[in-house]
Amino acid sequence: MTNCETIRESIGGWLDGELSPGESDSVRAHVANCAACGEVRRQLEKLHLALKDQLSAEAAGIEFLPFWRDVQQRINQKQAWHEELLDWCRDFFTAPRIAWSVPAVIALVLAAFSLDVYLPGWRFGGARNNFAAVESIDAHGRSVALLRENESKTTVIWLYQDQEGENEAAEDATKSGPAF
Amino acid sequence: MKLPKTRRSLVLLSSLLLVSLAGWGGAAEKNPQSVQVTIRSILAANKSDEFDAKLKGMEQQLKSLKYRSYRSLKDDTKTVPWQGTQSFEIPGGRTLTVAPQEFQNNRIALKVRLTENDKPIVDTTVKIPNKGNFILGGPPHEGGALVLSISAATP
Repeated sequence: MTNCETIRESIGGWLDGELSPGESDSVRAHVANCAACGEVRRQLEKLHLALKDQLSAEAAGIEFLPFWRDVQQRINQKQAWHEELLDWCRDFFTAPRIAWSVPAVIALVLAAFSLDVYLPGWRFGGARNNFAAVESIDAHGRSVALLRENESKTTVIWLYQDQEGENEAAEDATKSGPAF
Repeated sequence: MKLPKTRRSLVLLSSLLLVSLAGWGGAAEKNPQSVQVTIRSILAANKSDEFDAKLKGMEQQLKSLKYRSYRSLKDDTKTVPWQGTQSFEIPGGRTLTVAPQEFQNNRIALKVRLTENDKPIVDTTVKIPNKGNFILGGPPHEGGALVLSISAATP
């Protein structure tokens, strides 16, 4: 790329005051001594001037007062609850806050595992597994039944009275005893 | 989007804190000092259709026993240290002795002995879920059958 090409690319920025003082001096010096680049500068200045005139003429026809009034009204307008909620959600779920989902997910998983300890029977769709594991039973010669009741997930150890029971009432009771 | 360093550290610290708390909670669960044992004595009979309102929480468990009426006779809760024993007076001159053995996988191992006039009726060792129960029943009582709900919970 020649020096002129580089300078021409920078003329727009120089005219808009976007260059550093050093760059501006360099462009200014080159444009003053180079006829071709000086012509480019003049063309650009003409274009800027034409645009400025056009925009100023358009702006004169625009009424800014109603525009600002409308903006002010929107600022002061109270939002509906669902709009506020939407704004809150939008703010909350912006990327930095999403990072909090990591500890939040950990907390939820831990809570799910702990619920059974702190809230027995919290599970949906059925009773908690309350079955007991019976390691040994010695009924000292009596009849004994070990039952696992599925509906309530309960373990039942039931002792049956000997046939030669001492108490007739008790005998009656055991005869009509649980059918499970 | 990159998080600022301080916020990243804060998120990381929170995660670590949660994991540590969970670990601490798990460790705490393994070493409870004592067990709270509750014995509910219930009379199951067929003389009426009465269902004691005090037993509402156990309705499903008791109904499976197929008696017509259930009446709460006594509720007794005691704190028992591990490897210790505790006796509960049961209606009909009976005594229930409970000895918590160990706590593992959220289950409590209990040694249970029911005696009547110092004569053993039953000896059993069961492992029940923490805050769970099992039912020991059958001994005749007041024209019905005595039902004992034996539950245990770590504090």
